[in-house]
Amino acid sequence: MSSITILMTLQNLAGILTLAGATIVVAVVIFVLLSASEEEDKDTAKHKVYAVRTKYFAILTLVLVAGLIISLRLVPYPRAGSVADETVTIVGVQWFWRMGNGEMTTGPVEFVGSNEVTVPSQKNIKFVVTSADVNHGFGIYDSKGSLLTQTQAMPQYKNLLYYKFDNPGEYYVVCMEYCGQTHSYMVGKIHVQ
Amino acid sequence: MSTIDQVEKKKERKLVLTWAVTFLIVFPLLIILGLFMRLNQGRVVELDYTQFYAFMTMHGLGMAGVLFSIAFAGLWYLISTRITKLNLGVGYFVYVLVLLGFLGLAYGTMIGNFAAGWYMLYPLPFKGASWAVSSTQISSVSLIVMGVAWLVGILHLLYALAKRYGGFFNLLGWQYLRKGEHEKLPALVLVATIALVPGIFAFLVGAVMLIMFLLQSFEPTLSFDPLLLKNMTFFFGHMLVNITLYCGVGWVYGLLPEFTKREWKVDKVVVYSWNATFFFIIFAYLHHLYMDFAQPTSVQYLGQIFSYGSAIPATAVTMFGVIAQVYHSKMKWTIFPLTVLFGMMGWAIGGFAAIVDTTIAFNTGLHNTLWVPAHFHTYMLMGIVLFIFGFLFYLFSGEEGIHQENKLGKVGFWLFVVGAYGFLTMFYLSGINGVPRRFADYQGIEAGQVKEIGAQLARYAAMFIYVVLLGLLVMYWSLFTKLLKRKEASA
Repeated sequence: MSSITILMTLQNLAGILTLAGATIVVAVVIFVLLSASEEEDKDTAKHKVYAVRTKYFAILTLVLVAGLIISLRLVPYPRAGSVADETVTIVGVQWFWRMGNGEMTTGPVEFVGSNEVTVPSQKNIKFVVTSADVNHGFGIYDSKGSLLTQTQAMPQYKNLLYYKFDNPGEYYVVCMEYCGQTHSYMVGKIHVQ
Repeated sequence: MSTIDQVEKKKERKLVLTWAVTFLIVFPLLIILGLFMRLNQGRVVELDYTQFYAFMTMHGLGMAGVLFSIAFAGLWYLISTRITKLNLGVGYFVYVLVLLGFLGLAYGTMIGNFAAGWYMLYPLPFKGASWAVSSTQISSVSLIVMGVAWLVGILHLLYALAKRYGGFFNLLGWQYLRKGEHEKLPALVLVATIALVPGIFAFLVGAVMLIMFLLQSFEPTLSFDPLLLKNMTFFFGHMLVNITLYCGVGWVYGLLPEFTKREWKVDKVVVYSWNATFFFIIFAYLHHLYMDFAQPTSVQYLGQIFSYGSAIPATAVTMFGVIAQVYHSKMKWTIFPLTVLFGMMGWAIGGFAAIVDTTIAFNTGLHNTLWVPAHFHTYMLMGIVLFIFGFLFYLFSGEEGIHQENKLGKVGFWLFVVGAYGFLTMFYLSGINGVPRRFADYQGIEAGQVKEIGAQLARYAAMFIYVVLLGLLVMYWSLFTKLLKRKEASA
């Protein structure tokens, strides 16, 4: 298990936050378990708990509003006026990827592409992602195994994903939506130069 | 006001025991399907792909169905024996139809190899399918049959309650917001209403969706908008799972006061909170579509706002309500309150992990990784399932027997809890390490060491599932001993 990454990725941050939240919950549960052994008038006990609840309500509301304000600025959706240095077409097909540089000029079913594509680093890449059959998920992993970003590849729709690769190297495409029998082998490669 | 006599109570008890025994048979079988999935992902056993995904489909749909069924049956029992008479014929009608639907689904998946996953994302059942069209049709019809049964049950229950409390809006507690005298509304009724009304929308939308599936299966030239179908799928699926939990919370409001000897009154705060929860239940499903960038961005924002919002009433009112019930109550931690407290804990931890995942920025890195089953297994297995076992102990031990110490039951409970958290930890670690969900195995992933980590954590998870099954076995032993003792005593 030494191989499990300890670097601060999005996923690790999620893990740390959840661990912290779970620790607080367990601490409250232990407190409640122990508190039941004492006896107090029902109204007095209730009054004490509800006094804490008022503070909790205020803090929780503040935390959630702050969380919304901060996190909604970090959404992966294209913004009006987003400019791409390069465009890559991605078509999911049961059970492989057709990828190619440039905009798609045919329909997704006719689109000819390959399981590998090359893009430059430090450039804003626009991925135009769709599907020729069922729903797929276009997920990009780095060579360390971190899932960097993703969007769904849906038939009849084009999802636009903008992404800038900071470093050159090998990146891996994995299907992130269950799409049938050999879904788990629907992989591709992005060479970043 | 209708009175409920002892004979009727006995008959209702027989009905709920029928549901309970069915649940106790089916639940471990579905766990075993999950065990095989983890063993296959860990490369301990080798299933072919069709088999793996058929197991996955049955595990998901079966669990959602069986958990909602027992959650609904529990509410039915409590309401029919404490609040107002319910028609026993309707109760058995629901049971038989759900059972038939379940058997049809088992046939469609385990024999017919229907393997489109629990949410059978359109148009997957019609393209590249490894199973016959008839399996899609059998599975769809079976699900419609179950949905119709639940719909009939919910409508009957709500109708009976509305009649008893003088109108539907009184069930939502709106009379508490007006000045003047009014009859007290039991918290159980308020929570049951808020849990079940969204169920009506969910089952209707689910039925329409499945009928669309059936139409396309008979007429392959038909096609529908995949984004619309995706919204319908998650509207139905998310809500079904969500209301299952809230049905269980209804029992907590109804039964915990018997242990703490403190009345759990409905007041304005509780009414506001549960009415708000109604909207959170309806709209929170939107977070399932975050990675569908074609969905309008404003709708994606709403998904996060509604998902965040649901944390306020759940924690500030219900969980603090439990604390206010228990704090300095001189209550003994017998098996029922223990399952309630730990059920709340699972709900809170799973909910916290869900809030993280419903943050769009995090979802980019967690969507469809094993983080997702991690969080929903937390509030299902360590939330609703614990509430269910609490309820079953209550049911099998009787209203007096449940207050007595149950050492054997507690041994089973602790084994179950330890095994489950071990199993869940492997899911969370897998999600953190980018291991995707719904993969029969991870051998195709070249990125980093995802393949090795995924397989290793799956093997560890399987070991914890054995502990879960052992815990279940001990709890079963205790449950049936209690039931037999009760039967002997009443004979």
